[in-house]
Amino acid sequence: MELILQFIINGLIQGGFFALFAVGLVLIFGVMSVVNFAHGELVMIGAYTIWLLHAQNGFGFIPAIFVAVMLVTIIGLLMERFLFRPTRDDPLAGLICSIGVLFILQVVATLVGGDGPSKQVPPPFHGTLVLFDFLRIPYQRIFSLVVSVGALSLLWYFLTRTKLGWALRAVALDREAAALQGININRISMIAIGVGGALAGLAGALMAPLTNINPHMGHNVIITAFIVTIVGGVGSLSGAVLAAVLYALFHTFVTVYFGGTVATICGLILMVVVLIVKPTGIMGVRVSE
Amino acid sequence: MMNSLVKKIMFGAGLLLVLIAVPHFLKFHHQDLLIFLTINVLVVASYRIVTLTGEWSLIHAVMMGVGGYTATLLFKNYELGMWFTLPLAGGVSALIAAILCFPLFRMTQFYFLIGSFAAGEAIRLTWIQYVNPFGGTGGLSGVEPPIIGGIDFLDAIPYYYLTLVVVSICLFILYRIENSRIGLTLHAVHWKAALAESVGVDTWRYRALAFIVGSFFVGVAGGLKVHYLGTITPNQFGVGYMVFILIWVIVGGYNKFYGPVIGVIVLTMFDESIRGFDEIRPAIYGAMLIVSILFLPLGLESIPAKLKAWFGVGSAPDEPPLTDK
Amino acid sequence: MPVLEIKNVTKQFGGLTALNDISFNIEEGEIRGLIGPNGAGKSTMFKNIAGFYAPTKGSIVYQGKQIEGKKPHTISELGIVRTFQETTLFQELTVFENALVGCHINARTDLFSAIFGLDRKKQKAAEEKVMEVLDFMGLSDRKNQLASELPLGSQRALAISVALVSEPKLMLMDEPFAGMNPEETNHMMDLTRKVRESGITIVLVEHDMKAVMGLCHYLTVLNFGQLLAEGTPEEIRNNDKVIEAYLGGAN
Ligand SMILES: Nc1ncnc2c1ncn2[C@@H]1O[C@H](COP(=O)(O)OP(=O)(O)O)[C@@H](O)[C@H]1O
Ligand SMILES: [Mg+2]
Repeated sequence: MELILQFIINGLIQGGFFALFAVGLVLIFGVMSVVNFAHGELVMIGAYTIWLLHAQNGFGFIPAIFVAVMLVTIIGLLMERFLFRPTRDDPLAGLICSIGVLFILQVVATLVGGDGPSKQVPPPFHGTLVLFDFLRIPYQRIFSLVVSVGALSLLWYFLTRTKLGWALRAVALDREAAALQGININRISMIAIGVGGALAGLAGALMAPLTNINPHMGHNVIITAFIVTIVGGVGSLSGAVLAAVLYALFHTFVTVYFGGTVATICGLILMVVVLIVKPTGIMGVRVSE
Repeated sequence: MMNSLVKKIMFGAGLLLVLIAVPHFLKFHHQDLLIFLTINVLVVASYRIVTLTGEWSLIHAVMMGVGGYTATLLFKNYELGMWFTLPLAGGVSALIAAILCFPLFRMTQFYFLIGSFAAGEAIRLTWIQYVNPFGGTGGLSGVEPPIIGGIDFLDAIPYYYLTLVVVSICLFILYRIENSRIGLTLHAVHWKAALAESVGVDTWRYRALAFIVGSFFVGVAGGLKVHYLGTITPNQFGVGYMVFILIWVIVGGYNKFYGPVIGVIVLTMFDESIRGFDEIRPAIYGAMLIVSILFLPLGLESIPAKLKAWFGVGSAPDEPPLTDK
Repeated sequence: MPVLEIKNVTKQFGGLTALNDISFNIEEGEIRGLIGPNGAGKSTMFKNIAGFYAPTKGSIVYQGKQIEGKKPHTISELGIVRTFQETTLFQELTVFENALVGCHINARTDLFSAIFGLDRKKQKAAEEKVMEVLDFMGLSDRKNQLASELPLGSQRALAISVALVSEPKLMLMDEPFAGMNPEETNHMMDLTRKVRESGITIVLVEHDMKAVMGLCHYLTVLNFGQLLAEGTPEEIRNNDKVIEAYLGGAN
């Protein structure tokens, strides 16, 4: 019982990270129909920023988070303006460009941090919350969870309650129709990738003190993001969030008993099964033929 | 007519002469490289047939690994020689591909891309997870090339000739397929699937066929590689290698049979020339990929036609998108 | 016995009913017009017959066999071929190669024959068939041109050639006259009659009333997914409901 509760808490915190980057991927795919293969590297850059500013140069953790978010947002905006916009008619071309970016960002990270072992960032929040004598949650993790949930709530508010958010969803639903209604596609694409980038940067920044930081950490991130996106339903943000939490719980569980590799294999198989049985994901609606 | 035939024969003979002579002018390290280059030519040519139907799979590198592991396990456990391991490497890759067709070809476009990536990663992680029989992250070693009629194929030059023969046969077959009515049908399935269906083409079967044939030949390439290299690891067939395949095909040009071949040859030479910059090498490739997508979407292969168009002879090639929307 | 029987076919897209309980028969050897204002459901009906959609309800019987819900390639193997509303051709291929795509059913080749050139006989038969059709459609002097170089009229003729090469018994033609000038229209009408005389039953979706009235033996009128009327061109021309539907649509 105690173990299970502990699992659930850890899974939820993990799920928060998963949701942050998966939602960004969904947003970018929905609005621009490109698969951003460099999304994991955006997360990685967020984490590196924290390492460089906070761990190496003594910046405050919170200001460093802001810088990370800004930086990754800007990278995202540049990608949209110079890569995805010129290749808009050709989703595969956009994807291949993003693979190009992936390599460039990995090299940037290597040049900044050196080739050595993975970097660690000492957690800026100390101490552990103990609940009912047996649940132990480090404050660092509580902070991450609160910020993740806060960011996702803000996003939800933005998408459902503001005019811009509405326009963004309209573009995701049907780009041509939205353009006919006078929605500026370029502007909406910028916003989508800006938001997606910001969330990826935030995820990286929050993960930094809790994980190993290296130039190749994006690989696992993108695999996780794909699994979550597909299982949640490609067009569906709420699906992605739900799938993120469920997959995080599942992954935490399997990892403890069978190891991380088996957990990922299971996740990949799960994803292929979902693609076969219900390609629209758990929350997706079937689009008419 | 006669004239063009003579030209073709002359060209073929010249090419053959060059291919035979070239290793004798190279240092040992470059002879090694020449072998891998020849194998990579087969890799991109076999990838091409998969892309002919418009589906860009991300599992091709892993399929090569399937062939490689098959050859390795057969060699080590059953002491089978290369004449058996190569076709069986292709066969097992084709078999796995055939099984994967059922889930994968229920998907198209984005879903297929992601689905093929996921399936490939799952296979690769299986090699990592199951140390017995796959050797885990460290992989397997001890595979040897054959000794035939007293010639030890461990030496670079004989092995190069062996590779050259195998790859040439495979390329010939792939070329024949592409230029037969099957190739025409694959083209039809890609560009006008509805039209193809309405004249009786089972698009599923043809997409599957292309995928299986492509996997067969890349499996053979995997076998060729492991017999020379002697060792095999899961990471040889990871996303990194897959991306290289994409780069070769795209930079070379995916519109013609020889485009990817040009791509792999030119980029391998280029790769040698930036040997000193190991750390930033991936970034150079990344930039190259972006530049060629943005500015030379038809690849190197299209440069002669473009030049001709600039000078006012002939017309510029059309630039179809990589995928339909 | 009719070649094709449409029995109570309904097709819904989500909440939208594109076809509502439609029934009609097509007789062997006729040219049938399927007409109606835009959005009436004509293309949807074609797609249901050709297997691109499965009807939500109802059945489609071809030569006594139920075919609804079968795959497009299965249906075309049975002898129903569809041509497309948009001109769909391979612009980058020659006229000859385009038509060769249509050979699939009758001259299928397998991998080994293709590799080792064992299918020369089939290949030759296929090429002969293609040339015969191109002759028939008046395209043989253009056989080595790229499809993209053809004028609109010839592109449409080529699209029909691709279908003819597959030797269909029933041809579904979706707006073959759209965008044509009077001269091209006349030529296409001649070609359509020729196709029918060669023993192929034709169902024609068309807006060009001159062509429809001149070609068709019998008309079926759809409106908002409903079967509005059936009759000879003369009867349809004087049918009040049809006149109203068209005028209503024009407003
Ligand atoms: N794939 C589809 N999804 C949703 N609605 C469709 C689809 N195809 C057609 N429709 C709708 O069905 C109706 C009939 O369309 P269609 O058959 O194309 O008409 P027509 O060819 O007679 O002009 C239209 O209202 C159209 O919007
Ligand atoms: Mg229509």
